[in-house]
Formats: sequence, C-alpha cells, structure tokens
Amino acid sequence: MAAHASAAVNEELNYLNWQKGIWSWLTSTDHKRICFLYLYAILFFFLAGGVAALLVRTELAFAGPTIITDPHTYNVLFTMHGVFMIFLFVVPGIPATLGNFLIPLMIGAKDVAFPRLNLFSWYVYMIGAAIGAVAMFNPIDTGWTFYAPYSTTTGTSVSLMVFAAFVLGFSSILTGLDFIVTIHQLRAPGMTWMRLPVFVWASYATAVIQTVATPVVGMTLLLIIAERWFGAGIFDPSKGGDPVLMEHLFWFYSHPVVYIMVLPAFGVVGEIIPVFSRKPLFGYKMVVVSSMAIAAVGFIVWAHHMFVAGISDFSAKFFSIVTFLVAIPTAIKVFNWVSTMYKGSISFKTPMLYAMAFVFLFMVAGTTGIYLAMLGVDVYYHDTYFVVAHFHYTIQGGAVIGLIAALHFWFPKMTGKMYNETVSKCAFAALFFGFNLTFIPQFMLGMDGMPRRYYDYPAQYQTLHTISTIGAYLNGFGYTFALANLLWTALFGKVKAPRNPYNSHSLEWQTQSPPIHENFAEIPVVTDEPYNYGTPTGRGH
Amino acid sequence: MLGLLGQQGSDFAHKVDYAHDVVTILSVICTVAIVGVMLYFAVIYRQRDGQDHDTPRIEGNSTLEIIWTVFPTLVCIWVAWLGYDSFVALRTPPANAMEINVTGRKWAWDFTYKNGKKTTGELVVPVDEPVKLVMTAKDVLHSFFVPVMRTKADVIPGRYTYEWFRPIQTGDFQVFCTEYCGNEHSRMLARLKVLPKAEFERWLADDSEARKLASLKPSDRGKELYVSKQCVTCHSLDGSQRVGPSWLKIFGKEGKLADGTAYKVDENYIRESILQPQAKVVQGYPAMGMPSYQGQLSDDDITGLIEFMKTIDGTQKVEVAPALPKKSAASTAGMTPADRGKALVNDTSNLCATCHSIDGSAMVGPSFKGLYGRKEKLADGTEVTVDEAYIKESIYKPMAKIVQGYGPVMPAMYEGKLSEQDVADITEYLKTLK
Repeated sequence: MAAHASAAVNEELNYLNWQKGIWSWLTSTDHKRICFLYLYAILFFFLAGGVAALLVRTELAFAGPTIITDPHTYNVLFTMHGVFMIFLFVVPGIPATLGNFLIPLMIGAKDVAFPRLNLFSWYVYMIGAAIGAVAMFNPIDTGWTFYAPYSTTTGTSVSLMVFAAFVLGFSSILTGLDFIVTIHQLRAPGMTWMRLPVFVWASYATAVIQTVATPVVGMTLLLIIAERWFGAGIFDPSKGGDPVLMEHLFWFYSHPVVYIMVLPAFGVVGEIIPVFSRKPLFGYKMVVVSSMAIAAVGFIVWAHHMFVAGISDFSAKFFSIVTFLVAIPTAIKVFNWVSTMYKGSISFKTPMLYAMAFVFLFMVAGTTGIYLAMLGVDVYYHDTYFVVAHFHYTIQGGAVIGLIAALHFWFPKMTGKMYNETVSKCAFAALFFGFNLTFIPQFMLGMDGMPRRYYDYPAQYQTLHTISTIGAYLNGFGYTFALANLLWTALFGKVKAPRNPYNSHSLEWQTQSPPIHENFAEIPVVTDEPYNYGTPTGRGH
Repeated sequence: MLGLLGQQGSDFAHKVDYAHDVVTILSVICTVAIVGVMLYFAVIYRQRDGQDHDTPRIEGNSTLEIIWTVFPTLVCIWVAWLGYDSFVALRTPPANAMEINVTGRKWAWDFTYKNGKKTTGELVVPVDEPVKLVMTAKDVLHSFFVPVMRTKADVIPGRYTYEWFRPIQTGDFQVFCTEYCGNEHSRMLARLKVLPKAEFERWLADDSEARKLASLKPSDRGKELYVSKQCVTCHSLDGSQRVGPSWLKIFGKEGKLADGTAYKVDENYIRESILQPQAKVVQGYPAMGMPSYQGQLSDDDITGLIEFMKTIDGTQKVEVAPALPKKSAASTAGMTPADRGKALVNDTSNLCATCHSIDGSAMVGPSFKGLYGRKEKLADGTEVTVDEAYIKESIYKPMAKIVQGYGPVMPAMYEGKLSEQDVADITEYLKTLK
C-alpha cells in the first residue's frame, strides 16, 4: 500500500491528470482533451451507425422480409447508417480526433492557434448531433444523399436532419480553419514546410477542403429547407426548378468530402510505415505534392457521380477524364509506401499490420474506382452494389482502418499505457477478414446488376447476400473487439508506455507519454527531417 | 472474354464488356503485383530476433518516381478511351430507332407506343431493331436499368432523358429502378420482353383499335390540343408566318435565339418553351409573345404536342379541323353595338384577346384600355389619333400603321372574316374601355 501511495504522489503531472473532474474536461481548451471529447462522441455514432448497418445486413441475409417487416423501416435504417457514419463519424473522424491531438505536437506548438474556437467547434458538433437525435423521432428515409424531389416531398423530418448536417458543417469549417492557421503560424523554430510530417501535410490539405467545400453543402441543405417550408421551387420542376441542380450542388461538396475522409488516413499510413520499416518515407516530396494535387483535383470531378443523371454527354466526358487525374497521385502514394519497406528492418506491430492492410484495401478501392471513372462501364455499375462495395473499400478500408491504425499507433502517447499486442492482433484479423467477406460478395452482386437501396431482391442474389451478412457480423465483432481492447487498456491497463516506444524521430514522441498540458517543457528547435531512419552507409539485412 | 457481367443482350454490350475485361485484368495484375511486392519486402526485410538491423537511408529515386508517374498515366489514358468509346455507343441511337415513351412513377413503369398502345410493367420490343426510350418521371427521380442491355439512365420529373439498345436475342429480361424513390423502390421492377419481329408486329397491332377509342395516340392528342389550346393562332403548320414560328419541320430545327446563342429544338426545348415561353425566344419574334401553359397542359399533353410536332416533318400535308365554329348571327341579334363588339372581341375564333388586353397590361399588341382617342406614335415617327378610320385600317390591314414598340405580328386575317358592321361594333366596344 505504501509503495502504491508513494507512486501516486510521484506520478508526473500530464494533460490527463493536471485538472480533475468532468467540468475540467467540458471546459478544457487543451487540444489533447478536445481530441478525447470528439473521440467518445464519434465512436458513439460509429456504434449507432454500425448497429443500423447490421440490422440492414440482417434483413438482406435472405430474400423476402426477414426481421424488418416494412420497407419504410428499412429505408430509415440505411439512411441512419449513412447519415451517422458520414456526417457524425467519418467526416470529423481523423481530423477532429487525431488531427487535434497530433498537429500541435508534431509541429512543436503548445496548442492550436485558436484553442477556444477549437472547443467551440466541439460544442457546435454536439448541438448538430443533438438536433440529429431529435430528428430521429420521425426518422428520415431519403438516404444520406438527400436527393430532391424525394427529400422535398417525403413526410419525414428531413428539415431537421439537414439542419443538423448544416450545423455539423460549421464544426468542420471551424476545425479546418483552426488547423490551417496553426500549421501556418505555430511551427517550432526549424520546422520548415518540407520538414512537416506527412500527417500534418495531409491534415493541411484536408483542412483546405473543409473550409472551401463545406459552405456549398450548407447552402444546398438550406435550399432543401426553403423548398420544404416555403415551396421555393429551386429543385421543383413544376415551378421551373431542376432536381439535377441539387445533385450538382450536393456532389460539389460530397465528392471533396471523400478526400476529407481519406486524406488524413493517407497521412497516418505515411507515418506508420517508415517507423516500423526503419526507413525514410520514400519520395517524401512526391507524397506531399500528391496530397495537395488530390485535394485540388478533387474539386473538379464531382459530376462523375452523375454520368447517368441527365447531364449532357459532353459534361460526362469531361468529368470522366478529370477523374482519371485523381488516380495518378493516388497510385504514386501507394508506390511510395511500398518502396519505403525496401531494405527496411520491418517489425509487425499492430499499427503496421493495419497500415499494410490499408495498402491492400486501398488498392482494391482504387482499382475499382477506375471502373467507375470509365464512362461506359459506370453506366452499368451506377447505383449497383458495385458502387456500395467500392465506397466501403474507400471509406471503411481507407478512412476507418486509417483511424483504427492511428488509434493503435498513438495510443501509448495519448494514454501513457501499452495495450496487449496479442489481443489487438486477433481483433485485427477478425476485422480484416470480416471486412473482405462483407464486401467482395457485394462487388459480385454489382457485376450481376443488383441495385442498391433495395429492401428486397430477386432470389438469384441470395447466396452472395448471405455471405456478405456473415462477413458484416465478423467485421462488427472485430471493431468491437479492437476498440474494447483499447478502452479497457485506457481505463484499467497497468503497463506504462515509455516516452518513445517505437524509437520514432518525429516530435510528438520526444515529449513525455502522456504529454504535459502544454506539450513541451520548452519549445523544441527542429534540426532534422522527420524520417531520418537508417544510416547513409546502411546496406540492409 | 471473362463474362463477368453475364449475358449480353444488346449489340453494344460487347464493347462495355471488353472495357470491363481490360480493366479487370489490369486491376488484378496491379493489385497482385503491388501487394505481392509489399509482402515480399515484409518477409525478406523482416526484423529478426526482435533486433533492428542496419538500414540504408534511401529518400527517393527520381527515375523510379518518374516511371511510376508516367506508366499509370498511360494506362489511364487507355482505359479512359475504352470507357469513352463504349459510352459513345451507348449514347448514339440510330436515326431509325423505334421510339417508345417511358414514364416512371411511384412505383411503376408506363410504356406508350407510337400507335397509342400502352403497357405498364412490361416493355415489349422487336429483336434486332434499335429501340429508343424517351423517358420522363411523374414525381421523383427514378432510373431505368436493363442489366442485360448494359444501359441505364435516370428518369427525371420535368425533363426528358433517353437510352437506347438493339436487342440481339429474344427472351424475357429484368428491368430495375436504380434511383432510390421511396417505399416500393425495390419492387419498381419491369420485364423487358424481346420478341421476333413478326410476333412483335402482331402484338403491337393487337387490340390497338379498341385502345385507341379509350385514349388517343400521343401525336393525335397533340393534334387535338394544337387546335383546342389555340397553338394554331400563332403557329402555322404550312410554313406561313404568324406571331410565332411555324411548326413545319420544327423538330430538330436549329437557329439563334434573341440573345445570339444557338438553340436546337428537342423534347426539352419544346417543353421549356411551352411552360416558360420567355426563357428562350427565337430571334425575330416578340419577347413577350406567348403566354405560359404552366398548369394548363399535363405532361402527357406536352408529350402529345411534341409527338405531333415530330409528325410535321414536311413529308405529308397535315390538316387540322377548323378552329371553333363561328358564332351564328342569331345569337347576337338584339344586343347593343357595344355588347356585340365585346362578344366579337371575346370570341376565341377571332383571337383578339390573345394579344390585346382590356386591363391596360401590355401583351403582344397594345392594350384596348383607353385606346380609343389616344395619340399613338408610329414606328416611322408620325403621330396618329386612334379613331374609327384608324381602327378599321388596323383590323383589315394590320401592317399599314404599326405603333412604336410593337412588332409587325398581327395576322391579316380579318378581311372577309369581320364585316364592316362587326368593325363598327368593335369600335363602339373600344370606346367603352376608358
């Protein structure tokens, strides 16, 4: 007892324990605490969206009504899944959690540029989430895409839900703005732009998209409300409006938002692979340039979601060609990650397994994206399960796997504890296998022409649907297992994490685990590149 | 080759499948190669005995990076071309394609053939003949997807979209709605039935006479509307000039709008011109010439008018029944001259009210309100007082004296139609409109 007591007294002060009580968390402007505020909130919606997905998959396991007796409930559930996962989980996802935690640490700053704005953005998020929760009393059935005129005429609480998404958009804009200013202004001495870790670069590209694209969807969502409340007629053909305009406005945001989701995950993988390969990131400059290129080109490809939506053939051809421009920087990134492993000294810690899984999943996501950029092939695949599977490989296989990888990688820094490697590897295996088992059959369903958002389907599709449902359960189990392991370790774990368990070169590992309130006892001076692993004379093996 | 998309039902399906096969083979090769290299590195460069070994500080390799930028670019150009090429085939119906109108509604598909035959949920087409589906929706977005034909297009309220195919084999095939449209979305199915040509002809002719009685075919419906909705007033069928462009050979016609941009008359152009006539005005025609028919014509009516216009292609003379019969003199006997004049102005067969208001608002022509006794400036700058003589001249010879600001658009159709007495009565009526 005495030993314990003295250990507690001697415990170093850090950002987790320097102030106590729930109120100290809810009013904290510390970027590291705000990371956790966001993390618990988004994981709650990940759980809610995941449960909705499993209900949908259960219904689809067999042809005909299974557990859901009416199509309306089914439509509500897949909409819930989409809205929760996109607006409340993946979009804030990595930026609001790890972006918040890591950007100041990685650039050698005490906090973000506007700490109170940062906390405010979390409250804006929570207000948006609360409005969304109220909308659940008469849940919407439009799909997360809110296409008019269905969304302007259906009887569910669309106005409330799109207003929730509108509010959430402001949270996203504020976070993005904060990060842009932070990265421009608060870099430590010697932290030049070309010494920024790629995660910071990816977050920067993401923040630019967040601030530029989000206002457009905000406007679109308000127009839907104007349509519903005042009969504005913008999207209503009987008043001279045009439903296709709504699709344009929606995708002008919602295509770039895919890069909001996935660019930070690129950054995470770019951090993990060098550390566990003991090699500099191969072609650092190209990785940085490709992030910015993806962010830029991402703004002019939106109508590739609309090849069959009644746009002119000329527009379709234009948007197909520019879409291929996104493929090239994405391919470059994959080549760079793999080359980083060449002549490395590779250890297979859990984050590295996730990073390697990411490379595979993203190859599938990218190559299946090529099918959808090809005009004649997309006409066939548009709105089929092929698109559903492609999208999940990109967003789940990309953004969500990236988030889980990041949570494992920086967990020692965030909590000061080490999780059990064996448990986390088992969870990884279940998650990875389950994911592929869910979505590979969905590619095959798409090849057979199975349309998406169907409550019921012809019997010929049943076998593949059944397999997909089994995969979904395994996938859900894997996520639960992985996150429960981390949560349990955070609360009850005994193994203390050292300052720099992976012997990493980047700044966030040079301070204590967990960091003190203002990150660094004194602002560090940077004299080195972030990935200076290996030796100039090293030969490998 | 690989047959991943299943049975090919249209003559362009092989193009789509070829593009699909090429990208499948390339994707598998690339994925296996990259993941293979990654796993190979992972195995041979793995840490042994938990000890780090010495590694070289390789920061990049320009040659390699140029190669893996250029190579994917070339591959992308190739597959983009394959996608483009198959898309062009999908979007280019032959001129002789048989057109079928498709209407999507919650939650069924309606098909209307040129002879007026209508079906719901079953699209019957002949084999080896190109079929063009001209599609619109009644309520929300839908999408018409025929997997076996490899084609699909969204079906949108307020505009027309199309898709086409040439079936290469007979049989029954699945049609899906692929744009989410509400509760019964997954049951918004249809069957595509491809029949041998002779059998199709028999099917099409079968009981169509009985159906014609119940509902006219679209072009006949349009012909009826042309008269009853007074299109005839301003649009001739024989090329003669009236207030608006003649409908002779109007479908597919190209030209310039008042603002100089080019236009081409297609389904969407006609629809817009009927519902929002001011949106696109052809050069040389009055800007405020035509009233909107919003709310007066249903979608089926508009489709009918479009179909009617397509028939006025100059290959044969199109005759319409005369407009409303003239009111008999007996019905106006015993009225005061001013009342008779009012009746003549309001008589739709005389069409005065189409262009002249009685409330002072400007339409194609000057308003009748306060017209009598007014001083008007003519197009040539001279001034004239509106009196009996001027009114008579303007009715019989509309082009003689045109008031400044108005176009030379009034038809010279009243000589012989309106007697001197009629004109005198109309003048009396105009005097009452202060």
